[in-house]
Amino acid sequence: YFQAPAYHLILEGILILWIIRLLFSKTYKLQERSDLTLKEKEELIEEWQPEPLVPPVPKDHPALNYNIVSGPPTHIITVNGKECINFASFNFLGLLDNEKVKSAAQASLKKYGVGTCGPRGFYGTFDVHLELEERLAKFMRTEEAIIYSYGFATIASAIPAYSKRGDIVFVDEAACFAIQKGLQASRSNIKLFKHNDMADLERLLKEQETEDQKNPRKARVTRRFMVVEGLYMNTGDICPLPELIKLKYKYKVRIFLEESLSFGVLGEHGRGITEHFGINIDDIDLISANMENSLASIGGFCCGRSFIIDHQRLSGQGYCFSASLPPLLAAAAIEALNIMEDNPDIFQTLRAKCERIHKALQGISGLKVVGESFSPALHLQLEESCGSRENDVKLLKRVVDYCMNSGIALTQARYLEKEEKCLPPPSIRVVITVEQTEQELDKAASLLKEAAQSVLN
Amino acid sequence: MNVGVAHSEVNPNTRVMNSRGIWLAYVISVGVLHIVLLSIPFFSIPVVWTLTNVIHNLVMYLLLHTVKGTPFETPDQGKDRLLTHWEQIDYGTQCTSSRKFLSISPVVLYLLTSFYTKYDPAHFVVNTASLLSVLLPKLPQFHGVRVFGINKY
Repeated sequence: YFQAPAYHLILEGILILWIIRLLFSKTYKLQERSDLTLKEKEELIEEWQPEPLVPPVPKDHPALNYNIVSGPPTHIITVNGKECINFASFNFLGLLDNEKVKSAAQASLKKYGVGTCGPRGFYGTFDVHLELEERLAKFMRTEEAIIYSYGFATIASAIPAYSKRGDIVFVDEAACFAIQKGLQASRSNIKLFKHNDMADLERLLKEQETEDQKNPRKARVTRRFMVVEGLYMNTGDICPLPELIKLKYKYKVRIFLEESLSFGVLGEHGRGITEHFGINIDDIDLISANMENSLASIGGFCCGRSFIIDHQRLSGQGYCFSASLPPLLAAAAIEALNIMEDNPDIFQTLRAKCERIHKALQGISGLKVVGESFSPALHLQLEESCGSRENDVKLLKRVVDYCMNSGIALTQARYLEKEEKCLPPPSIRVVITVEQTEQELDKAASLLKEAAQSVLN
Repeated sequence: MNVGVAHSEVNPNTRVMNSRGIWLAYVISVGVLHIVLLSIPFFSIPVVWTLTNVIHNLVMYLLLHTVKGTPFETPDQGKDRLLTHWEQIDYGTQCTSSRKFLSISPVVLYLLTSFYTKYDPAHFVVNTASLLSVLLPKLPQFHGVRVFGINKY
């Protein structure tokens, strides 16, 4: 028999007591609910005030008075039974009504049917999808591309696939709603910088850098991103991409470029803002665009290096958990790409038309033109607002109605007012397409001048 | 083929220690470790038991209290990226059955080890230090605590 030291035995005794305490204490399971007493339940029921299922809405709310379009929204659009020239649909290259695109879509419809009835991972991948991805990657001169079936979901799925909690995203204030939803889904720290203000962005980056130097271990696990649009939908101007690239390399931030409006518009061959500025496409980490504007299809794509794009095949929520793009739309997009590649002069034509109408719209009394001279989607904002947003919207509606009665279909830029982070002022959005002739552009400009004169004065 | 494999757990790490048969597998693997150490000819019995205790505690500390996050992507945008596996168990609920099991098993091993090392002081020091290193992080007061900022990010 050996001698056991006292301290050891005491320690063992304490440990055995602790085990007994653990064994007999209450074991918590998950989903532990605390039930309310009857009195508390009654109190809560008494306090509750029922809200109406449908909140009171004024009769002239724009969502209740909509215009009805019959037929396709092509160059001539039939609104409320009246034929107008279409200055509202984002059909920049006029491919909506193109015969070749339509016949390619019809052939695909005969071959595949209408829908795919499945996500990409579950028998929803067809050869047209793979072909479209290859063609887009080759067109944009990147390694790989990935297709989404809904344009809004493209950037809203791409951002949360890379940026998680604890990461930092620097984003422009004028970013479109899809980007804002993507940022909200990513749960990252968002730092907004003033629109196109490189000094403000640099200030934010410097602040982040000083914080990183105080805590280098945290900085090593934090990813930093920058989200900008090529051509901003809310303001019609372009981002200063060369300076952004310089800032990217100086502060080690990854760039996500959203090219929905600039794809098929800017650049010599329509490759977007990177071609416009002559920047190497490998400098941009991810380019995302939707095919609903220039390509006249539905859906969106992201392109970049294989290493980056391949990640979205498992982490892109809109890719994995939504049905894939209908094959007829993919075939239509392929045909649209063929047309874009075969006629590279349409981009120059479009930009010339944009310049023409931009010049023609200058000097309207009461309305100011917001947007670059070569932007096909420009805004007309009131020079001085008349008090509240509702009144501005009503005034602009009168201008739009005047134009609509005379045969030019325009629209106001609509926003979810309570959900936008930085709500832009109300405006009329004028969209220029390649199919509009010069007479029509001049007619639109003079009609807008008349409308502004009669309504605003 | 894939019947019953879909689950709605956002982070499967939280339920690993409640899975069917894992407690038995844990006990058996500690037993196997012990037998392997016993089969080395030049270790005496007290040394083997101390080694079992120390290796068990070391591996437990590394796997439960050092490695953070998940080896797979979770749909909650990396909520548990900075949490160790112990902190992830049962989504942070304290005193659940698997947490109790994992707290009691090093203590049982320590009691056995003290008996088989004949309460030798040198072995006592080593074994007690190892036990404390693995028991302290399991206390509910130490949930999310990073001493001296080690292993914080």
